[in-house]
Amino acid sequence: MSNLETYRAKAAAWLASMAPTFGRDARKGLAEADDLALGRRYQKAKFDAGYAGINWPTEYGGQGLTHLEKVTFDAEEMKHGFPSFYFGISLGMPVPVLMQFGSDRDFVKERVLKALQGEEIWCQLFSEPSGGSDLAGLRTKAEPDGNGWKINGQKVWTSWAHYSDYGVIVVRTDPTVAKHKGLTYFWVDMKAPGVTVRPIRLAGGDSHVNEVFFDDVKISDDHRMSPVGGGFAVAIATLMIERYVATDSAGFGPHLDLFVDLAKDTQLNGKPAIADGRIRQQIARNYAMRSGLDSINVRARLMMQAGMIPGAEGSLNKLVAVRSRQKLSELAIDLQGTGGFAFDEHASQKEDWASSWINAPTGRIAGGSDETLLNTIAEKVLGLPQDHRPDKGIPFNQIPA
Amino acid sequence: MTILYDEGQQAIATESRRVLEARTSTEALLPLLESVGDYHRPFWDTAKEQGWTALALPEDQGGLGLRLVELGLIAHQAGRSLSGAPFLTSSFGAAKAIEIYGSAAQKARWLPRLASGETIGAIAFAAGPDALPSRPDVTLTGDLLDGAARAVPGGLAADVAIVLAHGPGMPVLTLVDLAGVERTAVASFDNSRCLADLGFAATPAETLAVGHAARDAALHILALQAVVTAHEQTGGAEMLMEIARDYALTRRAFGQPIGAFQSVKHRIAELYGLVELARANCIHAAAREGAADFITAAAAARLSATEAYDTAARDCIQIHGGIGVTWEIGLHLHMRRARSLAIEQGSSLFWEDVLVDRLAGEAA
Repeated sequence: MSNLETYRAKAAAWLASMAPTFGRDARKGLAEADDLALGRRYQKAKFDAGYAGINWPTEYGGQGLTHLEKVTFDAEEMKHGFPSFYFGISLGMPVPVLMQFGSDRDFVKERVLKALQGEEIWCQLFSEPSGGSDLAGLRTKAEPDGNGWKINGQKVWTSWAHYSDYGVIVVRTDPTVAKHKGLTYFWVDMKAPGVTVRPIRLAGGDSHVNEVFFDDVKISDDHRMSPVGGGFAVAIATLMIERYVATDSAGFGPHLDLFVDLAKDTQLNGKPAIADGRIRQQIARNYAMRSGLDSINVRARLMMQAGMIPGAEGSLNKLVAVRSRQKLSELAIDLQGTGGFAFDEHASQKEDWASSWINAPTGRIAGGSDETLLNTIAEKVLGLPQDHRPDKGIPFNQIPA
Repeated sequence: MTILYDEGQQAIATESRRVLEARTSTEALLPLLESVGDYHRPFWDTAKEQGWTALALPEDQGGLGLRLVELGLIAHQAGRSLSGAPFLTSSFGAAKAIEIYGSAAQKARWLPRLASGETIGAIAFAAGPDALPSRPDVTLTGDLLDGAARAVPGGLAADVAIVLAHGPGMPVLTLVDLAGVERTAVASFDNSRCLADLGFAATPAETLAVGHAARDAALHILALQAVVTAHEQTGGAEMLMEIARDYALTRRAFGQPIGAFQSVKHRIAELYGLVELARANCIHAAAREGAADFITAAAAARLSATEAYDTAARDCIQIHGGIGVTWEIGLHLHMRRARSLAIEQGSSLFWEDVLVDRLAGEAA
């Protein structure tokens, strides 16, 4: 058995032992506050067992292992329905960026340790009402204020901001230069005076995203994580992590086996639906697509193992997987007919077709919309020209509204 | 488990690409469309000279002892530059059938000659829409075949064929020496495929497998060929994606390169996705040769490669506008090839059923 397989087996055994306390059955019927409390205990248990910060440096409480062990653990963890998503953003993007760019190292270390143990949660304040894909067009501003800065403006779609202790934020510090060049990256205390968090209820019924308002929020200059005017590069570094984290050939929806089971159990025109050509074609097409992504992801892992940089084809994951999950979820509801009306707003989108379907649009927009991802492939991978951008090179404050 | 190509495999890809790009051209392939029964001889001579015919056959029979992964790499390059004949795949299928299901005498008689390329093989399983008919049109009585196998790829030039026949109440997989067998050329939209109806009249045939075993053997051979063809389709799709990209970078309209319009650039980015999914499935399937899930992996590769090549053919021509539909530019060579490869080795409809039977636990 390879080292990685030994690691996998050990992790799987530990996760199985945690399932009765923290797994999907233990969470059934919990109110969100109780579920979050359970999640914090689970995160602490991971930390104590050496499964938090798997690929982070040991001096920050991590395990000093590689991305491979991290991916291996995540794949096993996903099977049990643990309440880990409250920490997904926090430990996925803002905290690693803080580790990399935070200036006060003692402060950084304290925050990282608390985040790893589930005591503190971080959010990422990027998108604004005026634009998400066009990140550099953001309008929230920070103006010099004494020895520090004063922030005014509004962010939106901020996941878990209502539970967050801290956040990382990109703001405009100079409106007189081209839009990418006037941005600066900071961290903020989400409990500071002037910060107001207002949950947004999403189409599926849950409210994990928020509007966040900043009214004369004062921060000192040691909150700054980029050079003044150099915030865009740090923001892009954050988004790159995000795209890399997102690999699930099921598009974060149900496994294809569940669809096959449904088709076998459903009668259509007096025959099992699995005998119906329309259903069979969709199963076959989805299988071929998912097996292609799986092969891409395994090869990416092999390349990392060999010390190489994975190919650009990894950028296909979210684009291809989520939109086909959306259609397959519609078909699964079709298959159930009137039986498909039943709806549980708290069902898992990895196990329930209606939940998968109603939350699928979020997946196609968050973390880079389909259209943005296609642009990225066309421009960065294939070398096709950028779109016509009328705001290019124009000082931000002179861009026509 | 899929694989990364090692240095030797990468060298095969680079060298076969170099040779094929030097020796094939649109100008050489276009006239073949208008002549029934011809193929591009420089392509087949190259395949023999480079040892591609011997590549995946056993060393003790004159082969090089490599596997599907390596043959797939050659097929990918052949797909990029439009292979001038179908024999790389058809001879491989015939040789594998003899290697796996044949007697020592049959192997000794045919495999060295198939490996050198002096003999050409073909596979005759299909009857119209049915890639693997449970009751084939060709019948076997005693040791003699009667009836016709229709539109067999490579059939016009083949010396030996593996024929699925209807025996006494069950399918029989047979080995047939085609010397003296009547062949009727099929005029097709892709004439260098050398399609022929093979007319059997009390033609002697040797039995390779009988009943369920015959059908399983035929499916296995078809799957091996399908993986080779899937590589070829992926190569063709990749080439078309690159042609479309290059054209979109140079052709200007409304004051900018047409590749700056999202309707065009997104179409090409979608092609990139289809090509990469097909490539990933091909690599995985080739690496699964001999494993329990080989048929499943082959089906996935086949389905994604067919979709990639057909879509790339449609979209590449569309992106070219008027020039794309001219005879001379030759994009229709790929469009024609995408369709002929989509049918050879069983259409998507066939492989969808094969795949779902396995996923649903219904496979025989």
